[in-house]
Amino acid sequence: MSRRRAAVAALVRFLALVGIYLVAAVPFRTMSLITGFTDVRPVTAIAPVYAVFFGPLGCLAVAFGNLGADAVSASLRWTSIAGFAANFLGPLLVWYYWTRLSRTPFALRTVGELFRHSLAVAAMAFLEMVIIAPAVALVYPDVDAAYFALTVFLNTSAFPVFFGIPLAILLQEELGFLPLPPRRAPSKEKEAG
Amino acid sequence: MNRLQANICLLCVTLCWSAEIILFACIPAGVPAFATTCATTFAGSALLAVSFRRRVAAALSSGGWKFPASALLLAALSTSYNTLFLVGVKSFDVASGAFTFCMTVVVLPVVLLSLRRRVAPATWISVVLVLAGICLALGPSLRRTHLPGLAIMAVGCLLRAVQIVLLADLVKKHDPIAVAVLVQGFSSVLALGGWAIQDPRLFAGLPVSRALVAAWALYAYFVVAFAQCLNVFAMRRVTAANATVVYSVEIVFSLLWGVFLPEGIVERVVLTPAVAIGALLVVAGSVAEIADFRGLRRAAEGGAP
Repeated sequence: MSRRRAAVAALVRFLALVGIYLVAAVPFRTMSLITGFTDVRPVTAIAPVYAVFFGPLGCLAVAFGNLGADAVSASLRWTSIAGFAANFLGPLLVWYYWTRLSRTPFALRTVGELFRHSLAVAAMAFLEMVIIAPAVALVYPDVDAAYFALTVFLNTSAFPVFFGIPLAILLQEELGFLPLPPRRAPSKEKEAG
Repeated sequence: MNRLQANICLLCVTLCWSAEIILFACIPAGVPAFATTCATTFAGSALLAVSFRRRVAAALSSGGWKFPASALLLAALSTSYNTLFLVGVKSFDVASGAFTFCMTVVVLPVVLLSLRRRVAPATWISVVLVLAGICLALGPSLRRTHLPGLAIMAVGCLLRAVQIVLLADLVKKHDPIAVAVLVQGFSSVLALGGWAIQDPRLFAGLPVSRALVAAWALYAYFVVAFAQCLNVFAMRRVTAANATVVYSVEIVFSLLWGVFLPEGIVERVVLTPAVAIGALLVVAGSVAEIADFRGLRRAAEGGAP
């Protein structure tokens, strides 16, 4: 495949990922927690799934999808820039864990793997919270920063665990989606074991 | 998908189903339940049909006429027990009503035995635990006036048990995605019939708003497309008894919503000791059914798990 065709294929995939994110995100904008700032967001379940199956392209799709959802629901603010950064870097952390730090490829077949993925998701939620919450507290001092930070953490940790894990299992085990492989090969002793 | 993954998926399905009550609260007043079922099952099945059109077409062409006929039967059973539940649950408060749904676990072995199928010892243990939980939670508050409602719920649970057994059989023979699309598609048509009887104006009589479209979209994604898709794939890997016992954990989620969510969204639940212990017994019944005790014992003895 030529470089040009590969670029076109990546662009089409990116637009499809953003489109799916938007279709899933926009209806939930009616379930507001802090009007104009945060709402109940089950769509966050998609973020680590995009990260492990589509890598940085998927992470970028989450960031643009979130920005698009802010725009169409008339909640685009200066803090959306922080939201964009958080929604890119958070899933990127999950991608980094499974492809750079883990010696085994992404799978959710054992209790240990489920635990490791849940920890990666918790780290993602924490990172997103520490990026978005201070930005909102700085620009909008009237917003209850502690409550806002809590909603960000719960949104980005609970939904990716309770809905994202079953979604990833479905995609990998039944629908033939392949996660990105780890860069570090498994050790020989482990392979022999 | 292994057994652990299948049980995780079934728990997620149960969580989605328990959240139905929250989504229903977002639907504006005056929208009939049949309208919601019709629109959301249609949207959910259309979403799956478009995404997996080749698989659905292949399953339909290889399945013969018996496949859609079986899906229609499942949809009819599903519509029937949902309607019975809607009528029967009105006789109870939220907590008691939620416990009556768990009766499916109790009637399931009867259905399996009548079909001359084996019931595993673990299933009998979980039946006893779940039954004890129901009796403990319902017993003190049960009055003679509740009996008609209880009988309606029991018939609903019987139909649900039959539907689960037949669904477990069907997904093992045919493509699960095609099963989900057909069952939800037929459910949509049946709900359309019920809606037309209730209000012949159909869509013209609806108070259409952004809130209604948003609530229907959420219902179609989560309760229909996502949950049904997970459910049919998970049911391929487990027995009908296993699935039913996991579904009974819905009581725990329903009680949690009732205790923690604001009154505007759900009716508040007063957590009495009887209700709490009853819910714990239902959970214990689930653990007894799904935990692989033999595997754990083998692992403890140093063998392969």
